[in-house]
Amino acid sequence: MSDALTLERMRQDAADILHLDAAEIGDDDNLMELGLDSLRAMTLAMSWRQAGAAIEFTDLVDDVTLGSWWQLVQAAEPR
Amino acid sequence: MHSAATAAPLTEAQEGLWYAQQLDPGNPLFNTGHCTEIRGPLDRARFSAAISQTLAEADALALNFSDGNAGPRQWIDARRRPVLEQVVLTASGDAARHARQLMRQDLETPVDPCSAPLARHVLFSLGEELHFWYQRVHHLAADGYGMALIESRALQLYRQSGGAQGHGKPLTPFQRVVADDAAYRVSGQRRQDAAFWRGQLRDADGIGSLAEASAMSAHRILQARQNLSAETVALLQQRQANAQCAWPAILTALVAAYVQRHAGQNPVIVGAPWMGRMGHASARCVATVMNVMPMRLELDQDAPLDEVFRRCAGQLTLAHRHGRYRSEQLRRDLGLPGGQGRIHGPLVNILPFDAAYRRAGLDARQEVLCAGPVDDFNFNFRAAPDASDLRLELEANPKLYRADEVQQHLTRFAAFLHAALQAQTLRPVQTLHGAEFEHWVHGVNQTSHAVPDTTLVALVAQTCAAHPQAEALRAADRSIDFAGFDTLVGHAARRLQAAGVGRGDIVAVALPRSLEMVLSLHAIQRAGAAWLPLDTGQPAARSARILGVAQPAALIGEPDTLAGLACTCPTLAVTSLFAAPEHPGPKSAAALPEVQPGDPAYVIFTSGSTGEPKGVVVSHRAIVNRLLWMREHYGLSADDCFLQKTPYTFDVSVWELFLPMLCAAPLVVAAPDVHRDPLALAELIQREGVDVVHFVPSMLAAFLDEPASRGLALRMVFCSGEALSARLRDRFHVCLSAALHNLYGPTEAAVDVSWWPANADDRSDPVPIGFPVWNTQLHVLDACRRPLPAGVRGQLYLAGVQLADGYLGRPGLTAARFVANPFSTRPDARMYDTGDLARWRIDGAVEYLGRADHQVKLRGQRIELGEIEAALGQHPLCRQLTVALRPDTAGELRLIAYVVPPDGHPAGQQAQDGQAILDHARQQLPPAMVPSAVVWLAALPLSRNGKLDSKALPAPDFTPQAMRLPTTPGEIEVAHAFQHILGLPEPPGADDDFFALGGHSLLAARLASALRQDTGAKLTLGAVFEHPTVAGLAGWLEHLADDAAASDEAGFGPLFTLRAARVGAPAALFCIHPAGGLSWCYGPLARNLSAARPVYGLQSPVLAGTPHGIGSLRELATLYVDRLQALQAHGPYHLLGWSVGGIIAQDMACVLRSRDAEVGVVALLDAYPSEVWRARPPAAADDAWRAILHIAGFDPASLPDLDLGRDSVIAFLRGRDHPLGALTDPQLHGILEAVAFNNALVRAHRQQRYDGELLYFRAALDHQADGLDPRAWEPWVAGLHVHDVPSLHGDLPGPPALAHWLPVLDDRLQVADTPVPAAPDP
Repeated sequence: MSDALTLERMRQDAADILHLDAAEIGDDDNLMELGLDSLRAMTLAMSWRQAGAAIEFTDLVDDVTLGSWWQLVQAAEPR
Repeated sequence: MHSAATAAPLTEAQEGLWYAQQLDPGNPLFNTGHCTEIRGPLDRARFSAAISQTLAEADALALNFSDGNAGPRQWIDARRRPVLEQVVLTASGDAARHARQLMRQDLETPVDPCSAPLARHVLFSLGEELHFWYQRVHHLAADGYGMALIESRALQLYRQSGGAQGHGKPLTPFQRVVADDAAYRVSGQRRQDAAFWRGQLRDADGIGSLAEASAMSAHRILQARQNLSAETVALLQQRQANAQCAWPAILTALVAAYVQRHAGQNPVIVGAPWMGRMGHASARCVATVMNVMPMRLELDQDAPLDEVFRRCAGQLTLAHRHGRYRSEQLRRDLGLPGGQGRIHGPLVNILPFDAAYRRAGLDARQEVLCAGPVDDFNFNFRAAPDASDLRLELEANPKLYRADEVQQHLTRFAAFLHAALQAQTLRPVQTLHGAEFEHWVHGVNQTSHAVPDTTLVALVAQTCAAHPQAEALRAADRSIDFAGFDTLVGHAARRLQAAGVGRGDIVAVALPRSLEMVLSLHAIQRAGAAWLPLDTGQPAARSARILGVAQPAALIGEPDTLAGLACTCPTLAVTSLFAAPEHPGPKSAAALPEVQPGDPAYVIFTSGSTGEPKGVVVSHRAIVNRLLWMREHYGLSADDCFLQKTPYTFDVSVWELFLPMLCAAPLVVAAPDVHRDPLALAELIQREGVDVVHFVPSMLAAFLDEPASRGLALRMVFCSGEALSARLRDRFHVCLSAALHNLYGPTEAAVDVSWWPANADDRSDPVPIGFPVWNTQLHVLDACRRPLPAGVRGQLYLAGVQLADGYLGRPGLTAARFVANPFSTRPDARMYDTGDLARWRIDGAVEYLGRADHQVKLRGQRIELGEIEAALGQHPLCRQLTVALRPDTAGELRLIAYVVPPDGHPAGQQAQDGQAILDHARQQLPPAMVPSAVVWLAALPLSRNGKLDSKALPAPDFTPQAMRLPTTPGEIEVAHAFQHILGLPEPPGADDDFFALGGHSLLAARLASALRQDTGAKLTLGAVFEHPTVAGLAGWLEHLADDAAASDEAGFGPLFTLRAARVGAPAALFCIHPAGGLSWCYGPLARNLSAARPVYGLQSPVLAGTPHGIGSLRELATLYVDRLQALQAHGPYHLLGWSVGGIIAQDMACVLRSRDAEVGVVALLDAYPSEVWRARPPAAADDAWRAILHIAGFDPASLPDLDLGRDSVIAFLRGRDHPLGALTDPQLHGILEAVAFNNALVRAHRQQRYDGELLYFRAALDHQADGLDPRAWEPWVAGLHVHDVPSLHGDLPGPPALAHWLPVLDDRLQVADTPVPAAPDP
């Protein structure tokens, strides 16, 4: 995978969609408290799938932190 | 929660659905259904395995339920787990259709969650390359998101089993959602959420939608769907970028804007579904979680639209933080339980989808077959997360919308959306587009018709020349032909000219109705001036104000009248105007002026809302159009005889005064006051052979009441000036065989602008004001003057040739009401704002809905009085009515219904019937719109013009009346009987109560007997109990004269009104009958209870014959609860029962609780639970008679010699002149049956626990030997407060015992009435 997904890219994507600075988002921050809604989460899932991650929107909504999402991405080997 | 023993309560979301289904158990819409159509190759075994695994994980699909005393419970029942069914349909011809039919059938079968599995999953194989995966899940187990979870999980498993790697995280067990819900219920968050929403909806006015009514979901849904154009999507995406606001907020704001135009309200409240999954335990759990948030959005028509979008986004973000608070609970908080009233309008459901199937390597298309019940109207938007592939699906409740309406909304909204996405503000965006706009602006107004550009003067002169010998005018004993008319008018015109009157002037007239009055108006016309009629009966000050504004060139009147009028202009005595010319011979040389079509023809002053009269100036061109239209439209000719009876200050008189001269027809001029005297009018019409006549509806009603009006040979009757009710139309056709026409128009538009044939076969209700006349346009517009479609209430504007020139000397007012017409191509075209509310019918007729200023604001709610009148008008006792807002004695505003009943309505029935009318109103109208009182009137007060004079309506009497003397012969007779039987020193008042004056059962029986002898009426004892006042009993006797069959029911009906409800009364006390089935025993209680509390007795259905379907005490209690809920829509419900009645009361309290109704005081008079009775030997055959003796107040034990059989007991009672002895045989039989029936029900009854307190009054002098103890209730209630009363069981409801226990009851009732501030559950 040429543009393999990294935690830092995920952080940047989340920051972009929430109009925040990447530095403002910690691994354990609840992204909903930072303004993430289901439409944005769905948009992130879509773009990360395009980057090769086997990740579904329904996986993201359980525990809404970058840290837990990164674990999901790592657990699921790219297709 | 894996067995019934460990069952859990329902989540709040489930409770809402549970009770909704309890209200409508047969509704299949609680089944949600999805169908996934998979094309191309599918590994069926792997796919089936993936689904099966998912179904095992989604344990909510296996829920089982029970409904018990503690409310519904649920547990996971392994036997209910759905097993994927495989159906192969390849053999059949049209397999796909067959499969869909099977799905539809399955989906349309309602599921009772207590007795059948909630879910069914079927994989239909329609060949190797086509599969349908059908899912049906009861809404209690899954919402739309839950269904999507099932799909995505199954696809994930399918992909994994095909070799793809994945984390394979299983679905969350349902129990976690239950636990999470329980935690939320007691959390501080929930309290904050409750406060937030109550704040959001504070002061919300009646909440509008696309339909005016509201209803519970039907059993099916109307749908319409369409893909929105790529262009619209591009505009949405563009707008999203420009406004810096996500597209769901843009769509939500624009749906709200669309609703605003239909509901005519701002702000509007739309429903925004909240998924409630992210970050919660339910994130990966199949469950029903979805909630609806009422979003109150202010739609500033002039604010930059981007700002409106951003504000909406901000509100949505804020609302999401409180989205968990259930809308059902909020509804309860706001006092709107059940399906009653809305807390939001249409739903805006934004459903971004995820292309999960594509990722599983499948070519699949998913279809939502049913997403649950639809109460009103849903806008569902489905799109990819970036808004592409945007699809709009509308769902509507067929009880409120027609299929074609839903389709129209689809097209209309799509066009509105497209236009609004390009607009800078909302104001210029039209609601209607394209063909629809064209139709409702121009299509319905195709009225252009060639009319000669001429004047009344020229048209009248033509008739005079053509028909000199024809009769023109007739009054009393005089008749004038057109030649004579022409001469008189010509002479008078020249005299006016000589007095200085010229073209364009105004000449005032102050004359009573007479030939001279008619001639004067024509003479003024011929002199080139406009006439200005003055009411000779009005205060001189008003005439002076009018004359001051009008500055007439002359004033015509009778000498006496002229003397009383302050006028600076020349005055002309009418006698001199029409005196024979001094120099008969050649006509005066001075030519009369050439009147022009644009010249003013008349000036009529109407009262303005501020009280200052305004003079409406109408041109010849305008009135000529109106008169020539009427002549042609109704085929009026010289063969028709017209009647002039309308006061000439009312513009309807104009056609009476001029149209006959355009038809060469005779005009009969009625004597001055005849228009208000139905008998004189009927005689005049008959005598003179009148064919065409006008009535204001109020006067028409009075005319039809006049027997002399029957069978009159009228040809045509025109109504205008007020709304013509459907009831009056129908009554007209019963009474008369003439054509009835409804016309509408304000003074500002030359008499009438629309017409409707109110034929005998017309079933319209309301009766429309109809279609525009020639060269006239009607426009129904919203507050921003944008055209509205059919069915939507708006303001009525008029345009066309008939518009008045304006208000005399009031340019500012003229500019305000006569505004630029944006729908005309002529730049100077005007449009008149009528201030009337109206709506289009589909056929292009207009319905009049009342005055815009008939709208009042009461306690923050905008209320349309016309709407209340329409609802009450359906009641048969409202022959005529009007509703007004009046202050009560404390100065608080209340709605009062003024009702004129049908003829012969007994005065004694008024209190009861007033209540019946209000009950009817309660069923039709929201609580805020139910009048506080009914005031009965013999007739509605009318103004001089014959219209309703609302200022003359009497103030309602809210205070208890001083003694009213009996007036009718019936009341006087009854009062004498009271005096005689009770030994009173003087006759009682009309409202005095027999029992309050010292009457008791025995005396009541004597009273009944005395009145039977005096009047010959079949008066029963029950009737005396039911109608204990002088007026009430007199009214009942009158009623008996009409309906002799009623006598047997008196006092034996299902509901016994012990004390009727009054204005402002507290919640009623419902008393349940003892074993004998009658509630008469509670009379003393009702008379002595404080606070004017209404008291009703529930009586056994057995009294009226064997009831069907009542096999248990539970069923009886349910029946009674139905009755009392029908009588009183809201709690608290106070219950009281003596003996068997107490057992029933306790069970009723349980039934009420199960319906989520508020139970107030539950009082038991010496009643013992059923198991106490079961433990005793069964009743002996003579027990029933023993019970009757008890009811009669005798202790059977003290009558050892009495044979306990039917004949002997009756003989015993009759021998003692006991009231029960006066009963008829069927009535005695009914009581006997009731005793047996109730005893049987009690013995078979299984108590349930009532989770509340009992107030208990024990007959402390009894039960020394039988061991009965109130503590036997302890297992069946949460609390028991026992008060000992020094009384025997049988004496408890009587006055001596009452004195001991009534104050306690009174106190408890008052405490229970005080509303407890709504607080979240602890």
